[in-house]
Amino acid sequence: MNDAIVLDGLFKGYGAVPAVRGLSLSVPAGTICGLIGPDGAGKTTAMRVLCGLLRADRGAARVLGHDCATAALEVKRHLGYMPQRFSLYPDLTVGENLRFFADLFDVPAAERKRRDAELMAFSRLEPFRGRRAGQLSGGMKQKLALSCTLIHTPAVLILDEPTTGVDPVSRREFWRILRELAGNGLALLVSTPYMDEAALCDDIVLMHAGRALAQGTPAAVAASFPRRLLEVTGADLIEAGRRLREASIVGLDVQRYGDCLHLVHDDQAQADAAARALAGTGAVLAPLAAGIEDVFVEMMSRADAEVAM
Amino acid sequence: MSVLGTLVRKEFRQLRRDPALLRLVLILPVMQLLVMSYALNNDLRHLRVSVLDDDRTPLSRRLVEAFPHGVTFTPGPGAEGEAELGRLLREGRCDIAVHIPAGFARDVSDGRSPAVGLAVDGSNSSIAGRGAGYAEALLTREAARLATENGRPGGTPVKPAVRFYHNPELESRLYMVPGIIVILVTIISALVTGLAVVREKELGTLEQIRVTPVTPLQMIAGKTIPFALIALVDLILATLFAVAWFHVPMAGSPLVLLLGVFLYLVVTLGLGLLASAVSDTQQQAVFTVWFFLVFAIMLSGFFFPVQNMPPWARALTWLNPMRFFMAIVRGVLLRGAGVGDLAREFSMLALMGVAAFGGAVALFRRASD
Repeated sequence: MNDAIVLDGLFKGYGAVPAVRGLSLSVPAGTICGLIGPDGAGKTTAMRVLCGLLRADRGAARVLGHDCATAALEVKRHLGYMPQRFSLYPDLTVGENLRFFADLFDVPAAERKRRDAELMAFSRLEPFRGRRAGQLSGGMKQKLALSCTLIHTPAVLILDEPTTGVDPVSRREFWRILRELAGNGLALLVSTPYMDEAALCDDIVLMHAGRALAQGTPAAVAASFPRRLLEVTGADLIEAGRRLREASIVGLDVQRYGDCLHLVHDDQAQADAAARALAGTGAVLAPLAAGIEDVFVEMMSRADAEVAM
Repeated sequence: MSVLGTLVRKEFRQLRRDPALLRLVLILPVMQLLVMSYALNNDLRHLRVSVLDDDRTPLSRRLVEAFPHGVTFTPGPGAEGEAELGRLLREGRCDIAVHIPAGFARDVSDGRSPAVGLAVDGSNSSIAGRGAGYAEALLTREAARLATENGRPGGTPVKPAVRFYHNPELESRLYMVPGIIVILVTIISALVTGLAVVREKELGTLEQIRVTPVTPLQMIAGKTIPFALIALVDLILATLFAVAWFHVPMAGSPLVLLLGVFLYLVVTLGLGLLASAVSDTQQQAVFTVWFFLVFAIMLSGFFFPVQNMPPWARALTWLNPMRFFMAIVRGVLLRGAGVGDLAREFSMLALMGVAAFGGAVALFRRASD
C-alpha cells in the first residue's frame, strides 16, 4: 500500500470502445515498471488516468496514496508526465522551456538554480541552452522534455513511449538516465513497444487489448513461458519455414525472428517431427530459454483465441 | 491529368474526413445567404421621427399628423422641450427631430414662411442624406397643401431648416472609420485568441500544462490577457489615427470608450475561447470564427441599419455583441454619448461577457473527460 503508483482494477473506455479492462499494478519507489505492448494495448489510457487527464470508469488510480481523480492537484505536484509526442514550445529556447515549467510548478528560486544545473548536466543540454527547442535533434528533444518534467523534483515519473523514434545510441543513454533516476528514489512507469527494453525494467506488465497478459520481474515473466522452445539457425529461413508449413505438425507454432526461427511446441514428438522436416537443410535446432517476446506472442494468441471462442 | 485528378480527389477525401469543416463550408454559407438576403437592406425604412410642437395650433397638429406614417417614417418618442428633443437624437432614440416653432400657424397665414427645424442624425451618412431630403420634401408639400387650404396658395409656406447632427458634412468616412475600428478589435481578440489556444492543442502543450498545478482559470487568463492588451493597443492606435488623420471627432469621453472596449473584449475573448474549445485544428477555428464574424458584422448595423431589418433579424441582433459595441464606439466618437446614454449597450455587453467567458471556463474545466 506504500507503493508510489497504484492502479487497482482500472476500467476506462471511450464511448462503447473499451481501452483498459481491469488493469492492476503497483510501482514501489526506486523502481522502474515497464508497460509493454503494441499500439492500442491501452498503455497511454492507463497513464492518462494516472495523470488526472482522464477519469476512470471503474477502479482506482493513486499516486503517493492520493487519488488521481479527487486529489488531482496533490497528484500533479508530485508527478512528472511526458506524453508520447514532444509537447514543449518549439519557438522557445531550451532555457526558456525549462524556466516556463519551473514557473508553472512554482519551484522556489534557490532550488531552481540547483535543479537547473543538475538537469543541464545530466541531459548534457547546457551547450544548447540558447537554441530553440524546435531545432533540437530527436534525442535531445526527448531529453529536454524529460528535463522539463523533472524540474519540480517529482517523486513519480510517467513516460509514454519516450524512446519511440529515437536512435539506438540516444535510446541507450535515455535508459541510463532513467536508471539513475530510479536510483535516486523515483518511481517510474515507462511504456514501450520494444520488447528488448523490458529487460531494463525492474517489473514489467505485458499489455494487450486493455488487459495485463503477464506481470512480474522480467525474469519471472520469461520463466512463466508455459511451453517448450527450439531455435532454428544456420539454414535458409524462408525455405525452412516453407518445409515446416508443409509438414503441418499439429501443435507446433513457428515464429520468425530477425535471424532465426522459434519453434513453440509441447512435447518431444513435435520436436522430432520438426527435425525430420528440416533434415538436409543444414538447420541447427537448439533448445532455447523463452524471452519476453515469446511470452508475449504466446499469451496474446491465447487471449485472442479466448475472445474468438 | 491522372496526377491532377489524384491531387483533387485526395483533397476532397480529406475534406470529407473533417465533418466539422465540411459543415462549416456547406451549411454556414447557405445560412448566411438566407439570413442576410432577407435581413439586410439600405432602403429608407422606419426612420423614427420625433416631433416637438411648440405651436400647438390645429394647423401645426395637422402638419405633425401628415408626417410619420407608413414604411419610411415611424413615430419616435415624443419630446416636451428642445433639450429633450436634442437628447433623443443624441441617444440614438430617434433619427429625425422635427421642431415646429411657436407662431407657426400665424406665420403661415401671414405668408411669412416660418422656419421648421429638421435635425437629422448624420452618423449613418448613407441614410441621413436621403432621409433628410425625403423629410424636407414631405414637409414642404404638406405645408403648401395646408397653406392652400388656408387661402394662401403659392410661394414657399415654410422654410425647412435642415441640420445634420454628429456628421454635418455627411462624410461617409466618419461613419465607416469607427465601424472599421470595431471590426479590427474583434478580429484581433476573437480570432487570434482562438488560434493561439488551438495551436497549443495541436502542439500538445495544452495537455502538458494540464498536468501541472495550473488551474483552468489561470490557464485561460494567461492565454487571454496578452491578446486583450494587444487589442487594446490596437484600439488606441486606431482611434488616434481616426481622430488625427480622418478627423473623426472624439465627441465623448475616451474613458467611456475604454469601459466599452473592456466589456467588449471580455465577450470576444470568451467567444474566441469557445471557438477554440470546439475546434481541434487551427483551420476549423479560423472557419468557425470567420463565419460568425461575417454574421456579426452584417447584423451589427455597420453597413445596414438595424431598424431596417425585419423583426426576426432585429431579434437576432440582440445576440450580437458587435451591434452594441458598434453603437458605443459611434455614440462616443460621433455623438458624445456618455455611460447613461449607452446604459443598454453596456449592460448587454456585460451580460454577454459573463455568458461567453463563463461558458469557455466551464468547457475548459470539463475538457478533462
